[in-house]
Amino acid sequence: MFSALTLILMSTLTQDPSNDKDTPLSQVERKNRAPVSPEMLRVSLPKPFESRLANGLTVMILEDHRTPVVTAELTIYGAGEQFVPVKEAGVANFTAQLLNKGTKGKNGREIAEEIERLGATLQVHASYGGESTSLQLTALKETFDKALRTVADVLLNPTFPEDEIARLRERELASLPQMLMSPEYLVSAKFGTALYGEHPMAVEGPTATTLAQLSREQLVKWHRERYAPQNAMLMIAGDVDTKALMSRVKLLSLVWTRLAFEPKLTAIPPASTARHLVVINRPGSVQTTLRMGNLSIDRRHPDYFALTIANRILGGGSSGRLFLNLREEKGYTYGIYSQLQARRQAGPWQISGDLKADSTHDAMREILREIERLREEPVPATELEEAKRSIVASFALSLEQPSRIMQYAADRYRYEFPADYWDHYPAQLAAVTPSDVQRVARQYLNPAALQIVAVGDAALLKEALSEWGEVQVEEAEALPVKP
Amino acid sequence: MGSEQAKALVNFSEHRLANGLLVILVEDHSAPTVSISLAYDVGSRDERPGESGFAHLFEHMMFQGSENVGKGEHFLLIQNNGGTMNGTTSSERTNYYQTLPSNQLDLALFLEADRMKALAVTSANFENQRGTVIEERKQNYDNRPYGRSSEILPELVFDNFANAHSTIGSLADLEAFTFEQAVKFHNAYYTPNNCVIAVVGDVTKEHALQRIHHYFGAIPSAPRPASPDVSEVTSAGERRQITIDPLARLARIDIAFQIPAANSPDFHALQLLTMVLSGGQSSRLYQEVVLKQEALSAGAFVQERRGPGMLVVAAFGPDEAKAEAALLREIDRVCDHTVDAWELEKAKLTLRRQTSQQLLSTVTRANLLAIYAVFYQDPDFLNRRLDLLDQVTLEDLQRVARHYLDAPRRRTLLTLPPAQEKAA
Repeated sequence: MFSALTLILMSTLTQDPSNDKDTPLSQVERKNRAPVSPEMLRVSLPKPFESRLANGLTVMILEDHRTPVVTAELTIYGAGEQFVPVKEAGVANFTAQLLNKGTKGKNGREIAEEIERLGATLQVHASYGGESTSLQLTALKETFDKALRTVADVLLNPTFPEDEIARLRERELASLPQMLMSPEYLVSAKFGTALYGEHPMAVEGPTATTLAQLSREQLVKWHRERYAPQNAMLMIAGDVDTKALMSRVKLLSLVWTRLAFEPKLTAIPPASTARHLVVINRPGSVQTTLRMGNLSIDRRHPDYFALTIANRILGGGSSGRLFLNLREEKGYTYGIYSQLQARRQAGPWQISGDLKADSTHDAMREILREIERLREEPVPATELEEAKRSIVASFALSLEQPSRIMQYAADRYRYEFPADYWDHYPAQLAAVTPSDVQRVARQYLNPAALQIVAVGDAALLKEALSEWGEVQVEEAEALPVKP
Repeated sequence: MGSEQAKALVNFSEHRLANGLLVILVEDHSAPTVSISLAYDVGSRDERPGESGFAHLFEHMMFQGSENVGKGEHFLLIQNNGGTMNGTTSSERTNYYQTLPSNQLDLALFLEADRMKALAVTSANFENQRGTVIEERKQNYDNRPYGRSSEILPELVFDNFANAHSTIGSLADLEAFTFEQAVKFHNAYYTPNNCVIAVVGDVTKEHALQRIHHYFGAIPSAPRPASPDVSEVTSAGERRQITIDPLARLARIDIAFQIPAANSPDFHALQLLTMVLSGGQSSRLYQEVVLKQEALSAGAFVQERRGPGMLVVAAFGPDEAKAEAALLREIDRVCDHTVDAWELEKAKLTLRRQTSQQLLSTVTRANLLAIYAVFYQDPDFLNRRLDLLDQVTLEDLQRVARHYLDAPRRRTLLTLPPAQEKAA
């Protein structure tokens, strides 16, 4: 199936190790003796079969007959927590968690048994900050149809039993104190608030207040109004026959009817222009869990390609500047990376890592040095070409992962890209110049506007970070009382 | 992507070079990729008291440069050519693997051969990685709720140091290692005859074998270090330990038992038993313990080891007595009664589905083939495993439950929040 493969020499992206006259990259000692094929396997990504049902549901199918398994993922846009008003936070999450806990004919136990007896698994999610609710089913080929029928029942006929709601609420309530001991949770929660303020994107998880006010009526209403087929996408990959499967999937449009709901995101606030430093006091921490960055762009923004490259150079993996400097040279951390999260609305360009507690100050200085370097110095030509090559060459690897191919297809829908978007993607990256990288670094990673959150021992961190501004301290275990 | 033969089985061939390197090859032309995995027969079980954490620390040294590869250049070369890579260390083995576009086979083989043959680590790089590993330890154990408990539990279950100590190692041992020890370690364990290489992907077997000969053929073999004694003398009598975790806000209860090696017939029955206990929302621990509000979450798993391993049944909850009683009740139930036929069938089908999913990726196939060759000199174990699981009967489940989950063999670890927090 993945036969459309051409071996071409991409002159713009070819490595030329002998011509390495630029300044050496931080701490990589290049011997240039390993045999590298200068050719790049250029692949055309297979396109899944695509169809739109009468009820508006988009269906995508990718046949993959290597092993006898099938994965189906239904993503319902507009049914995610990002569409829930902050004061009702948790409605989408609870609706999803309770979707398979009772239907008109079965209780939760019977539903779980029906699916799991087949060796299949069903996960229903609507994570905090997400745009959608998703149902994911994985089953063996022989029993996929049967399992899919149960999933359809769960999707269309949930009853949200009161006792199941009460039990879930109680479990989540009892889990809150432990959640607040996780440095990852704390840093994400506070960074979200720093970026998004009162927007639903700032909600990282439940609180005692939000859990207390969730009612069955809200869940029923959310399901009735937001689980709309015309906003949803069903992606099936695996050992299936497209034609036969489509004839059955089409039946869904008879029972799942179009709704009036049209999703509209609440606008996120503009990126902050002033630097803020927050320390979450977690006494006894032996490391500092750090996150810093600011809102950048949305996925359709023309700067996406330059930012993707800039991010790769700064901190995208173990050949990123941050990793090479802070881990491989200084030994301040086990790992430090940067991420660009561009979605329908602007998302953060952020740096995160866990730092040796007593090196926090020195590590901060090095991170800021790397940011300055990206802003002030043009990226050496070799480093730029390598960053491009690393991204384009990795497309070959996605051909053994149907989930990645589906993701590419889903992104095309989600962001309304043209049908040949991925065919032109390599050329778009190739066009990025050193001055583009410098420009986006200056624009989106401004040290004077960074939002900085550090989780650790405040006694130590207040001093370690004071060089960069006034440090606001909050107590980790005081966070749950906030709505 | 259409080959029928790959459906349930992985078709591989085995070859041995004159220097003892075992080569396993799988052709799969469904995607233009290739995965190369090397498993060395060394893990934390080879460490002696005072040496804990060394096998893993040494794994980091393998990325610090060799005769023809600079420090950091390995990461760079793989990633810049679109590849992914990693190294991992367990009690049983150390492995290194990469997936690349298939035209970069030579790159991966060159990098792996060079560091097997001639590591060129400086003492400065050694110090740097010591620091990195200490931070890794803090991130995954010391700064994380219950991190320490995952280290204490094997110490409670096993008496033999080889099995009992953690792969990450103690801070004291990590701080005491010397650069000279690293050099010795490489000479002893990083030899072709102590290694298995597996290549899976879009390359012909003939070509792959020829390139492996080219890069690895001249690396001299060396006497293999003796295999460690991992035997356990089972001392009768239940054991129980309580530990206070300053980062815990809920109690965690671990009930663990020693079990046999992962290629023994009883292991398969025990693995299925853990699926009956905790596989999905139809499982006993979810339906009978979590939904009955006796614990917030509960699970069971087996640890795959070449020698004695462990089976753990665990729960988190605000009330440790209630949760522990619930776990014991469910353990007793599988000892006293045969499980329902559908529960066993579900467990078998679930493992079949999970295996089918995993084997899609070339790197998983390469890793498992190399690891099973190191563990049991039997890469075909990968293909037989599902059949062995299929043969397990309801009677087997009850027999292994009664034998291995017997009260005198029980090892219980209670991890509790600090007292003042609990009282609050």
